[in-house]
Amino acid sequence: MNPALKIQRFSTRFFFPSLDILAILAWGFLLVKYSFTGELRLLIHPNYFGLVTFTGVVLIILGLIRAWQWGRQLGRRQQSETRDTVAHITLFPRGWASTLLLVSAVLGFFIAPTVFKSQVALQRGISNTLPATQLQAESFQANTKPEERSLVDWVRTLNAYPEPDAYAGQKAKITGFVVHPPDLPDNYILLTRFILTCCAVDVYPVAIPVRLEGDRRQYPQDTWLEVQGIMETETLKANPQTSQKSDSQKRQLVLNAQSVRTIPTPADPYSY
Amino acid sequence: MNQIHQAFTIFLSLLVEALPFLTIGVFLSSAILIFSDEQKLIAILPRNPILGALMGSILGFLFPVCECGNVPVARRFLMKGLPTSVAIGFLLAAPTINPIVIWSTWVAFRDQPEIVVFRVIFSLAIAITISCVFSLQKDSRPLLQPVLVKQLNRVMAERSKNNPASSQSEISPLLQSGTFWLDKPGQLTTVEDMRLMTEAVLPSPSVPKRSQLFLENVIQELRELGGMLIIGSAIAASIQTFVPREIILGLGQSSISSIVAMMILAAVVSVCSTVDSFFALSFASAFTSSSLLAFLVFGPMIDIKSIGLMLSILKPRFVLYLLILAAQLTFLLTLSHSYFF
Repeated sequence: MNPALKIQRFSTRFFFPSLDILAILAWGFLLVKYSFTGELRLLIHPNYFGLVTFTGVVLIILGLIRAWQWGRQLGRRQQSETRDTVAHITLFPRGWASTLLLVSAVLGFFIAPTVFKSQVALQRGISNTLPATQLQAESFQANTKPEERSLVDWVRTLNAYPEPDAYAGQKAKITGFVVHPPDLPDNYILLTRFILTCCAVDVYPVAIPVRLEGDRRQYPQDTWLEVQGIMETETLKANPQTSQKSDSQKRQLVLNAQSVRTIPTPADPYSY
Repeated sequence: MNQIHQAFTIFLSLLVEALPFLTIGVFLSSAILIFSDEQKLIAILPRNPILGALMGSILGFLFPVCECGNVPVARRFLMKGLPTSVAIGFLLAAPTINPIVIWSTWVAFRDQPEIVVFRVIFSLAIAITISCVFSLQKDSRPLLQPVLVKQLNRVMAERSKNNPASSQSEISPLLQSGTFWLDKPGQLTTVEDMRLMTEAVLPSPSVPKRSQLFLENVIQELRELGGMLIIGSAIAASIQTFVPREIILGLGQSSISSIVAMMILAAVVSVCSTVDSFFALSFASAFTSSSLLAFLVFGPMIDIKSIGLMLSILKPRFVLYLLILAAQLTFLLTLSHSYFF
């Protein structure tokens, strides 16, 4: 037999089908693995955990059925190639798409998703307003105790009623990671958290400025802090990161830190 | 290195969020492809251009396929004698107006339901307008690729050779004039002809064979669309991570440049419509919502991939008309959206 024909027969009988099966199985196992290790929390909103796990299981089953079918086909001496009666228009050369799928799934097994940090926050522009894609607060919750509000609760409250003076003098205890805003004085940090609405694509940083006793360099960027203090109002540069006109000033809420504690990175660093 | 890791995380998150929707879409479209009976459907469809366009657009609810699956379906519709207006309406609107796409758009833009609503309305409006324009062409043959027309003719010729008993008068008008099967749609013989004709093109398989085909089709679509999704996600993740924010903001904040930029992106990226809303979401913070709408409306109708697929049915000139009409309508509608909302 002609060697080129032999290679072609080998690829259509062994190589391409096994590539398909491996790619589908790899993605199935990757999705299931993410839901068991909890890494899914770094990737998507908890609403869709079930959907992703289910899809993983479906893909594994699909891959297994396909593998079984393929094995049976190989078992038959006179294997009849299943002819496609359905019109297919393929864009990739044969094997490319499965290779892409397989390679990305394998990479996913070896490279764990990362937790976004200050660099992403600065790049995306930190603000103390909620993103457009985030559910707005349904009601103004005045009855929660101020010191029990999380950082995101504070931002939500501020969004519902944005007058900073209304909160002056209230106690607060919030956690988040440190971002050094380049255009605020050295004793200010932005205590930041990411809000995730759908998936890591739309993580959106929100922050509350914190005034420290000393220099901010004692708390390097990306350190997670729990800060307790009193809310005050100050006139600072508006939206330190996003504002195009860097001169504009805005009266805003600032946390005057009384005690600052370094904490480990929480297991679920994002708020939803 | 850190940035590459971030880009990879975004890439993974796009894939993990999109894969479930892609899988559901692929399963449904394969099921429809293999198990549904289009014959009955075609018999009840209206022939009036506007009604037909509307029906064709709404057919997406019955055939939840994205733009990659709808071209073969539209092709079979045309081969089965469906009016051009219905087929074009289906071609343009079905990728957007179907439950899975609406669901995934809603998942991505949970707090901007107006994006979901306008996506549906604009897509419907554009599909109906364009298919009304195309319905002025009563005979669909000049629009079709010569291969397809030849196939039609060949199938009919074979049929007449096999059945010499069938009267010449029944066959010849079909061969001579293409208006026959569009102008007299209700005629029994015509429908019968169409049925036999398509059966010759697509032999209807037995039930175990069908499930085998179903599986085959699921895997093939999963592979093709998954590959496309991976490329699209990689592009989105790198744009988000590596392109400086000032450039994106500069483009994304003015209403005209943002719409144009997103339309070009939609045409280039070719992400499947069931998952393109997640892709759009990655631009939500920097781009105007009108431009996101432009992406969501234009992308499923026209992109590099679907142009390739459409060229398998329509002649290049008509694909170009489609492209220009769709682009202009999308631009006008989303631009007016940016002024009024």
